[in-house]
Parts: sequence; structure tokens; C-alpha cells
Amino acid sequence: MPLTQCPAAFGDRLRRLLAGVLVVLAVVVLPGCATYSIGVAKVELETSNRDLDGALKSLDELKLSGADQLLYHLNKATLLRLQGDYSASTRQFETAKSLIDKLNAISVTEQTGSVVVNDTMKAYEGTAIEQLLISAFEELNYLQSGKLDEAAVEARQFDIRQRLIVAKDPSAVYLSGAFVRYLNGMVYEEVGESDSARIDYQKALAGYQAQSAITGTGAPAALKADLERLENSRHSEATQKSPVHAKQAIRDEGEVVFILHDGLGPTLAENIVHIANPDLQHGTAIMSLAVPSLVQRPVPVARFELNAGAQSAASELVEDVNALARKNLEDRLPAITARAVARMVLKNAVAKNVKNRSGDNGGNLLLSIVTDVSAIVSERADTRNWSLLPGNILMARLSLPQGSHDLAVNYYDRAGNILATRQYAAVTVTAGRKVFVSDYLLVAH
Amino acid sequence: MTTKNKVWLMAATVVAALFLVGCATEVKRVGVDEVIDISGAWNDTDSRLVSEEMIRDSLSGGWIDRYNLTLKKAPVVIIGKIRNLSQEHINTNTFVNDLERAFVNSGRVDVVASSSERGDIREERTDMDLNATEATRKEMGKETGADYMLIGSINTIIDAQDKEQVRFYQVDLTLVSLADNRKVWTGQKKLKKDIKNAKFR
Repeated sequence: MPLTQCPAAFGDRLRRLLAGVLVVLAVVVLPGCATYSIGVAKVELETSNRDLDGALKSLDELKLSGADQLLYHLNKATLLRLQGDYSASTRQFETAKSLIDKLNAISVTEQTGSVVVNDTMKAYEGTAIEQLLISAFEELNYLQSGKLDEAAVEARQFDIRQRLIVAKDPSAVYLSGAFVRYLNGMVYEEVGESDSARIDYQKALAGYQAQSAITGTGAPAALKADLERLENSRHSEATQKSPVHAKQAIRDEGEVVFILHDGLGPTLAENIVHIANPDLQHGTAIMSLAVPSLVQRPVPVARFELNAGAQSAASELVEDVNALARKNLEDRLPAITARAVARMVLKNAVAKNVKNRSGDNGGNLLLSIVTDVSAIVSERADTRNWSLLPGNILMARLSLPQGSHDLAVNYYDRAGNILATRQYAAVTVTAGRKVFVSDYLLVAH
Repeated sequence: MTTKNKVWLMAATVVAALFLVGCATEVKRVGVDEVIDISGAWNDTDSRLVSEEMIRDSLSGGWIDRYNLTLKKAPVVIIGKIRNLSQEHINTNTFVNDLERAFVNSGRVDVVASSSERGDIREERTDMDLNATEATRKEMGKETGADYMLIGSINTIIDAQDKEQVRFYQVDLTLVSLADNRKVWTGQKKLKKDIKNAKFR
């Protein structure tokens, strides 16, 4: 039954109820938003200062649950990974993946809440980029704990997962998961599935080419070399010309793959526009529209050099999280804005209805003010994101003879100054195998 | 209390009851054979179906009788690697342990400790050399060598679109002769599931 046709008493009660709900939601939602942004900033600061125990404690204190539960698992998984607790990190990533699968189903309540109150009423299910990167970090967790078969399970799972993510937005060619495909290729090679490795290297190469217009960089040279090697080996097998000496050289050497989480990924700020309503008697006094905007944070390391004695390898950019996240937000912004406009119209309509029915009665005037205030304060942009994602990911690969090697890694800024040097003693390299090592540098101190 | 107030009180009680029911943790004991599919992923029922099939097939496969007839003793099996080549993190120990148990309890097949188990046993034997009495001490070098190794793999094919998935699992187990690499028994179990995820929650 339309509101205007309701009996007067019922209509009045309904209006009061709606206004009450708006106020209660504003009171409940707003402090939550503030706590989240302040709390996460503390977690980020502690992580940047390499105080991972402190960051984990601060994250737990945030008590992210309900609609923000996924953020808890993603950030916790990242912290545990940086701490080197790969099993615990993987458990968090697995919980995050299950949650995403669950959140894939539409909640009518949350959808209604996002149109009536704001987008934070919806459970956070992660952006497409974030969902793709879960696989990369989980795979790295397995690789760094020597669980190759488990890493291969992740690689196989990614095929389906990426297909379903991209199915929601087939035009987004940058959602290729190029970096994950590149990792998958390495994993498949490690478990001896060279055909699968070749296919994933091909997909990675195509992905990097597809996203080059956004990131401004092409495919890593090491990936091209991998693909060429596998294609040549396939050709040699087909023509019975086996390059014995080349195979022998590969068998005698192993490879160190060094991965750097470089800087913090983008954060989201709130862009809010308040417009004075020219027709004060018919709607809210001020109409508000809030949408998120991307804030890119500085990426400290421009390049790094991986050294083992006289041998060295230069890093390559393998994932430009900042650029991809920016493009992704740009693509999502029209829908976010449309919802914000719909909310503005709806809140204005509620206010108009309340004001039209209120006379000079003091109670109704108060109700009218409450409606105005709640409409303004409840309008918030959804600024949630996986804030501990790196700004970009750099990788260097160094072939070394079998045995124990001391590694030194020099991080350089854009001006060519050394930001930091890390030492890794006695890294064991096995012939024909890859050993994965990772580090993070989030801010330049 | 007026009728109107009574209605409000009743409504409030019903709402409160609904909230409380939602908050309570509920545990219900169920039979291990009861089929409970929640997400569509590999679960205890899949494992049980695989072990039932493999036990039936392996114990009636003829390889035991052939071995008995020739060598007049029970064949000795060691559990090797069951590779998970699927898209899911699957614990293969559940059905492999079922099969191992069936071999041992049948009295027709002997099973020796696997490579992951024997490390601790050998360590214990070394410890006995120092700490156990002469009469109870167990010597090194008296282990029973296996005749066959059980190896296998799990493969999956998944077709998915939107909210629907078809998952096909194929579990293959093989007994390979350690003497000459002959495969004396191969068992296979195929499972297929059609999973339709909820559109709404």
C-alpha cells in the first residue's frame, strides 16, 4: 500500500519509524566507520615499522566482524604472511575465500541497506583485484613452506575462480590475474607439469599485454624467457632434437625467486558533496552524495638488486596493484554514484513526506530536524579495502649453482639511493628447483 | 494490561526469541554414514565412497590369490604417495587409512610403515639401543621389505558458470610391484556432483 494512501495514524507511525531507523543506523554506523579507519591506520603504521606483533594485536582490537569480517581475514593473513607464519596465513586466506563464496549470494537486506543508508551496510566481499591476489599470496605461502602439491592445487583452483570473477565483468581485460598466472606457471614447472606451465605462462603474457595500457609496463623479461624455453623444449621433443647440454646446465642449477611487497596499496577516501536544497519545505535541508576516491600512497622501492657473491639479478615489476586498483575503481564508480544518487532521492523523498505532514507542532518540527540530520550523517562512502595489500610487487630471479648461498638484496629509490639492504644467510639452492624468498618494505625511513 | 499492550508484548517476545535462537550454537550428533553436503566440496561422504569401492575392489582383485599361490605367503604393501592433482585441498589420508585398515584386518595382506611413519620408529629403535634391556631391545636391520607400493592420484574436472558448478572427481589407486614395476592392481572411483549455489542469502 503506498504511503500516501495509509490511514493518517499509521502513516505518521511509519514516518517516525523510518526517521528513527535512520538515526539509529547513523549512530551505529558512523562510529564504526571512524574506528575502522583510525584502527587500520594504526595497523598500517605498525606494519610499516615492522612491528608485526603490534599490528596483529591492533587488528584484533579492531574487532572487525559482521559486514567487515572479510577485511579482518585478509589483513590478518597478510600480517601472518609477512611474519613468516605461512600455515596460519593460509588458514586465514582459506577462511576469506569461503566467506567470499558465501557472500556471492545476494542479501536483500544488505542491498536495501545500501540504497537506504549507505554502501557500508553491505558485507565487504573484496574487489576483483583483491580476490585475484588472494590466490597469489596463498600460493606463495605454500611455495615458501615447501608444499608444492598444495601450491599446485591453488594454481588449478585459480582457473575456475578467475573465470567466475571475470564473468561478472567480461570487458575488464586487466582482470587477467597476469601475476598469478606467472606464479602458476612456476608452480606447475616445480611439480613437473610443463604443459600446464606453458599454458599459464602464455596466459600471463597475454594478461600483461592486456593490462599494459593501464600499468604502462609490459610483461617481465623473465616470463618471456620461461615461455620461450618451454616452447623450444616442446619443439625439440617433437623433432627429437634434445639440447642435452642445455638441459644439463638447467639440472645443475637452481633458482632463487625473490619477491618484494613494495609500499602500501591505495587507500580510499570519502568524496562528499553537500548541496543546499532550494526547496527547504520539500525535502532535506541539505542533500548529500558520498562516493569513494582512491588515494595512492608512495611506493618506496623503485627497483632492487639480488646478489649472491659475484652474481646478481635486477628486479622486475610483476604486479602494479596501484594502477589496477585505480582502473577498477574508475570502472565501479558509475554504479556507486548511481546508488548514491538513488539514496539521495530516497532520503529526500522521506524528508519531504515528513515535512509535508508536519505542521507547526513542536514534535513534528523536531522529527523534521532529526530526519534532516540523519539523512546527512548517514550518507557515507564505502572506503573499505584490503589496506595491507602492497602498492606493487617486484620480483627478481637469480640462477645459482646447487648449494648454500648468502644473499644480499639492495633496495633503491627513484633517485638511485639505497633505501635498505637485507642479508639472507645460507639459502639452500637445489638443482632444478626454485626457492622462494620474500620481504616487504612499506615506507622509506 | 490492555489488549493492544498484550499484542505489543507478544510481538516483542517473538522477536526476542527469534534473535536468541539465531545466536545459539547448535550441535547435533549424526551417524558417520549420514550424507551431509554443505558447500559441494570434497567431504567425508566422498572419502567413504572411495574407500568402500577401493576396499571391495582391491580385496577381490585376484592379485592376493596369485601372490599366495606362487609364494605361499601374504603380500606386503607399503603406502606411497597419493598425489592431489585436483582443484581442492583434499586430505587423502582418510580413504588411504581405511584401505590400509582393511588390508591389515583381512589377514590376507601385510602392511609396513610408510616412509613418513618409519622415521619415528627407527628413532625409537635407536633409543632402545641405549635405554632398553637386552631381552626387550629390538635390533636394527630386521624390517620387512614391501612387495608392492600403493600409489595414486585424485584428479578433478570442474565446469562452472555463474552459480552452478559440475564437479567430477576421479580417484585412481595402483599397486606397483617393487621388484619389477608391474602394476598388479588398479582401482578407480569416479564421483560427479552438480552444485547450484544459492542466489540469495
